[in-house]
Amino acid sequence: MDGMDMRSILKCVRCGTCRSVCPVFDVIGWESSCARGRMLVAHGVAMGLEADKDVLDTLNMCTTCGLCEYVCPSGAVPAKVIEHTRHQLVLHGRLTEAQKELAGRAKDFGNPLGEERERMSWLGESAKDVRERADYVFFAGCLGSYRYPELTKRTFDILKNYGVTVLQEEVCCGSPLLRTGSDPGRLISKNLEQIKKTGAHTVITGCAGCYTTLKNDYPEGLNIVHVSEFLADRLDAMDLKKLDLKVTYHDPCHLGRCNGVFDAPRDIIKAVCDLEEMKSNRENARCCGAGGGVLKGYPELSRELSRRRIEEMPEGVDYLVTACPLCRTNLMRGGPKVEVLDIIDLLEMAME
Amino acid sequence: MQNTVLLEKLQGIAGKSRVSTSTADLYCYSCDASQIRGLPDFVIRPDTTEQVSEIVKLAHDNDIPVTPRGAGTGLSGGAVPVEGGIVLDMSSMDAVLELDLDNLQVVVEPGIVQEKLNAYLEPYGFFFPPDPGSSAMCTLGGLIANNGSGMRSVKYGTTRNYVLALEVVLADGTVINTGSKTMKSVAGYSLTDLFVGSEGTLGIITKATLKVRALPGERSVLLASFENPELAGRAVVKVLSSGIIPSACEILDSDIIKAINAYDPRIGLPQAGAILLFEVDGTENSVLEGIAMIEDACKSLAINIRTAANKEEREEIWAARRLVGAAVSRLDPMRTRVYVGEDIGVPIKEIPRMLHKVREISEEFDLPIMTYGHIGDGNLHTGMCIDVLEDREWEKLNNAADKIHRTAIGIGGTVTAEHGVGSARVDYLEMELGKALEVMITIKKALDPKGILNPGKMGV
Repeated sequence: MDGMDMRSILKCVRCGTCRSVCPVFDVIGWESSCARGRMLVAHGVAMGLEADKDVLDTLNMCTTCGLCEYVCPSGAVPAKVIEHTRHQLVLHGRLTEAQKELAGRAKDFGNPLGEERERMSWLGESAKDVRERADYVFFAGCLGSYRYPELTKRTFDILKNYGVTVLQEEVCCGSPLLRTGSDPGRLISKNLEQIKKTGAHTVITGCAGCYTTLKNDYPEGLNIVHVSEFLADRLDAMDLKKLDLKVTYHDPCHLGRCNGVFDAPRDIIKAVCDLEEMKSNRENARCCGAGGGVLKGYPELSRELSRRRIEEMPEGVDYLVTACPLCRTNLMRGGPKVEVLDIIDLLEMAME
Repeated sequence: MQNTVLLEKLQGIAGKSRVSTSTADLYCYSCDASQIRGLPDFVIRPDTTEQVSEIVKLAHDNDIPVTPRGAGTGLSGGAVPVEGGIVLDMSSMDAVLELDLDNLQVVVEPGIVQEKLNAYLEPYGFFFPPDPGSSAMCTLGGLIANNGSGMRSVKYGTTRNYVLALEVVLADGTVINTGSKTMKSVAGYSLTDLFVGSEGTLGIITKATLKVRALPGERSVLLASFENPELAGRAVVKVLSSGIIPSACEILDSDIIKAINAYDPRIGLPQAGAILLFEVDGTENSVLEGIAMIEDACKSLAINIRTAANKEEREEIWAARRLVGAAVSRLDPMRTRVYVGEDIGVPIKEIPRMLHKVREISEEFDLPIMTYGHIGDGNLHTGMCIDVLEDREWEKLNNAADKIHRTAIGIGGTVTAEHGVGSARVDYLEMELGKALEVMITIKKALDPKGILNPGKMGV
């Protein structure tokens, strides 16, 4: 590990402020389950600590939600240090079965779900509207393509009116691999080549994981917008009816806190119905518990994190709205009393 | 007894899931925020007093060190198992056991976090006043064991002033109760006071009865800027001798001002040689009067005086102030705050002199030393940031810290006003306490003859 990496680890002064916010620590309670503990373990690993199963679990139970980074007084960046340490360990063959499976599936199938089906089949009859060249590309994502194909098609059907196309051979953006320490390998270059071919200057995505990866891990020069940002800018031209609904909104960590997209989803919600915030929101929003490989590697922990996020919902709302398919999937596992909607589902209700 | 047999017995007491010997856990419980290190053999998260008692008895019978720990936010190594053995992580014993507002008191388990206790009390219109910078995460057990305080101590005193009664597990596992629910009691030695601030060397606190105070109706914050810290120090002496007791009186030097602005740019403190933050609380009239008196006392020395515009600004200032000890690390990406020599206290009159001495030490060792702290009670925090990968910087840092400690003692002060002795400040106790240290050692031997409770701490 070079000098600057070690300084990043040692930036943590061990004040323990992260104990007051880390959602995983809130569930587990052992020091090893909070950011301070993980920074210590990361330091240990860098100094040669044997990475046994407990060490791997400590590092892998972080959802990389970044709330610790947001509150950290000394400017430490635990989520980044943890991702870096995971990567170092993977390079030395130290990884869990869940990490192996994610990486293997992404390599073999181009998606971490292990889906062998035709990825772009969600397009259905809209396949005819795919253009070879366009200013905008809609990046559907793995969950969008395989788990929420109808929503993804409906999203594209709105977007295609604005001259948006899709990638014919889209593969996973690389997020699950990057978050869990593996190399995204050819995934990034395969997507990049296709984006370049379309001539697009902007990539639109509806997934927080894809968003942060395209924005921060792909070469600079691409303009990345979330579908809520793209549509929030065009609300005036839409013929929207006001819905007699009150909803609450879950900020996906990798969209909100990590990249500052807070207002666009709220602008859409407020344009069509009433919004009541969750107990923690915007920069302080608690994680749904799915990210960083936690849903895959530690499903019961992930469910409990979701359950605690659900407890933060205000009473009497009609829907829980979010803007990421992974958050949506996990929030549903937390047992909400109401349906969990994607922001596009809500917008469409007002368009009908 | 072999460690495997011991592990089984400990698991039998606390439950399998509450005892850990994993590499990751042992590593994570090997330090606090100080530079002290020590690897435990077992980490246990007990749920009940009975479990604590049984664990301590087992440890006593087998000569195994037991180090209690709250949130591990300490700055002296107090919760670090320097001689190995068992770390008792008390943070899951975090219940409010009884709220007795007619008697102005609350009974809590030691693991409750200060801020959570205050969130619990707020709807009833009450609060627990001691508020260290670590309020969001530190536990009441840690606060009591270290007699912690914080920004409000100038008016409200330290944790000691709020502890009425304790349940304590002694070194042989015996459970005793000290104090009572009465506001006054002189029945016997004040054992409550003995355990408060004893840093886990005499017993393990498992329950505490605490006094609470009614929340003040009004608060106001005044910011006074000065050309240098010494002038600010003179202003503090003037304010305190004018008869007003502010509810907080904090000093920030120029680098600390930069660090606060870097942590939360919304605050935008004016750049100056030093800023004093005064808070006055009470009724509307008493707050207005107090602020006017402070303004009057400061005006001949300050270059600028203003009051915080509203509650939001006030809360932003205090939130940033609480975390500034660590936030100074933000000023330079190559440097990290290291907590050594950071907690001296001096008699109020000596504040300007000590500030001057700190500046001299900074120049002598060619090491920037930032100053902030609860200047209203003479407690100065000195902040030093170094490139932690450079051995020479560590040497300078430790030499400067040593001189700060010796200077404070030399002018009638203390090496630790609120953070505790732990292992970090043991070397200065004899110099500061003289023969009184022998009395401490006698007490320790009487209560813990085998020396199993938090060994290597407090010079006992």
